[in-house]
Amino acid sequence: METTFQNLVLGFSTVFTPTNMLYSLVGCLIGTMVGVLPGVGPLAGISILLPTTFGLDTTSAIILLAGIYYGAMYGGSTTSILMRIPGEAASVMTCIDGYAMARKGRAGPALAIAAFGSYIAGTLSVVGLMFLAPPLARFALGFGPPEYVCLLICGLVVLSYMTGGSIVKNLSMISFGLMGGMIGIDQMSGYFRFSYGITALGDGIGLVPVAVGLFGISEILATAGSPDIREVLKPRFRDLLPSKQEFRDSIGPIGRGTVLGFLIGIIPGSAHIISTFVSYALERKISKHPERFGNGAIEGVAGPESANNAASEGALVPLLALGVPTGPVPAVLLAALMVHGITPGPLFIKEQPVVFWGLIASMYIGNLMLLLLNLPMVGIFVNLLRVPYRILYPTILLFCVVGVYAVNSSMVDVGIMGVMGLLGYLLRKMDFETAPLVLGVILAPIIEFSFRQALAMSGGSYAIFVERPISAFFLVLALIMILLGLKPLIFRKGDWRDRLNEAEKGCDAP
Amino acid sequence: MTIDRVSGAFLVFVGLFVVWERRVLPLGSTSHPGPGYFPLLLAVLLIILGAILIARGKDAKKIRSVSWSEAPHAVAILGCCLFVFLFMEKIGYRLTLLLVLGFLFGVMERIKPWLTLVLTFGFSLGTFWLFDSLLRVPLPRGGWGF
Repeated sequence: METTFQNLVLGFSTVFTPTNMLYSLVGCLIGTMVGVLPGVGPLAGISILLPTTFGLDTTSAIILLAGIYYGAMYGGSTTSILMRIPGEAASVMTCIDGYAMARKGRAGPALAIAAFGSYIAGTLSVVGLMFLAPPLARFALGFGPPEYVCLLICGLVVLSYMTGGSIVKNLSMISFGLMGGMIGIDQMSGYFRFSYGITALGDGIGLVPVAVGLFGISEILATAGSPDIREVLKPRFRDLLPSKQEFRDSIGPIGRGTVLGFLIGIIPGSAHIISTFVSYALERKISKHPERFGNGAIEGVAGPESANNAASEGALVPLLALGVPTGPVPAVLLAALMVHGITPGPLFIKEQPVVFWGLIASMYIGNLMLLLLNLPMVGIFVNLLRVPYRILYPTILLFCVVGVYAVNSSMVDVGIMGVMGLLGYLLRKMDFETAPLVLGVILAPIIEFSFRQALAMSGGSYAIFVERPISAFFLVLALIMILLGLKPLIFRKGDWRDRLNEAEKGCDAP
Repeated sequence: MTIDRVSGAFLVFVGLFVVWERRVLPLGSTSHPGPGYFPLLLAVLLIILGAILIARGKDAKKIRSVSWSEAPHAVAILGCCLFVFLFMEKIGYRLTLLLVLGFLFGVMERIKPWLTLVLTFGFSLGTFWLFDSLLRVPLPRGGWGF
């Protein structure tokens, strides 16, 4: 405990410099804008803005990028409440009651509670992250190659189950992504694989062009040309403060959403989205007046908004402690850390205390900044929503090009981005999720390396993966997830994931 | 034909392609797997998953029912990406983006000429100044140094 507080002091001393405070503020503001604008999620936002951090020192860069990450979670609620369009996928559930409140002239309290809940959840989750990540990292120091292989396979299988949709399709996307990750020089033998003489592919296809292509470009391809039907409700700012009753009704959902969100955030998959769904369902279940849900219940805003912020920070636990991203956004954060010469994993916290504790401290400050700045500035962010999409999408395309090119000054990366954009567009049409593909690409080198090391250790016996208790545990968990995922296919009956998809579709169509 | 069957067939094709392309990479042995070992495992897995999709895809959405209403825009945007890929290093960032943004704003979206000019020049020159001059992220200059 004492060491934790000493480290936290170190973190605050790192952040309390004018430069780092400024980067935290800029990150939060950009993140909010990214969250507010439909079609620009945190993933595309971080990928596109990664090059702007190249000139910064590592700690400042990570503080800026993390600010974008959790700032986007705050911003997503604004469009959900005022337009019934989720600015970010995790704000889907907020659409239902947030928009209903706005329709009744209570947009101000809905925005205020969303911001307040996000602040509480964000801050408490950082406490969880602070206490959970270091012991988890110490525990993971005992992992050998077989444990790592099984942990990563388990993570990918859990992701394919939790992402929703068909588990067969999700598993095929993971395999496809892993295959994409095989492109480039084999790190054990030095062989060029599937590169077809293109030297620039020696280092692989790169996460940034893949992520920007699959999430940024494919979104533009799928949405450009659609008519601008945007009714933006004007919040009455003089009514920004919630009533005492609304405040009382929100405290419980905020607390429950925080705990749920943080715990679900640690699990691989679209945790921040799932956590909002679970939180909404829980609040409705335990409410004395469930009929209010859907008609402007403040609990339906407070719970999900707290849950998605807590989940986004819970997802940092496995990323920082184990080096395992649990979703595409943490995967891009991982890539960003690696660009800056940091490899998250069990040794990260021990070897880079300034960066880790600086990040933790910046999150405390960033959450406070978001609360203090976002509510007064909500009018400015709302004006962003009035920019027509036909002006917005060429601008996003421009930033995608700059962002991808600038990582390696490579036109090959721009080409990969275009190909991935087309692939992502076609995959959407065929009802495939692209998040597992991205995770496959980033984890492929680690999985293959550990897999081959494990086989070398065992003299070629696959039994090594089931003889060691930790690896066996992860494999059993993966098997359970596969069986759960196959259940709807066998019994032809939908489960909670189908209901989540329905909720998302319902919110997209006001 | 359903979307699952089409996509399953595509996955099987990719798997078979990798099996074929992998033949130049040594497989090694189970105790010392070579660079072709893991890709082969993945290719086999992809073929199996593709086959499952084909086998179970009878009741999936029909490929004819997929809406392609945004396709003209999508083709134009992909064309712009291709143009950037082919010409950005030859004619420079600013000129490439002037042409691409001018096309998207002025031709595709039919935005008023004065606004198209303002947006096109503003974004292409402004982002060059921001990234190249201010943030020191080198962006391509064409043969004329522009």
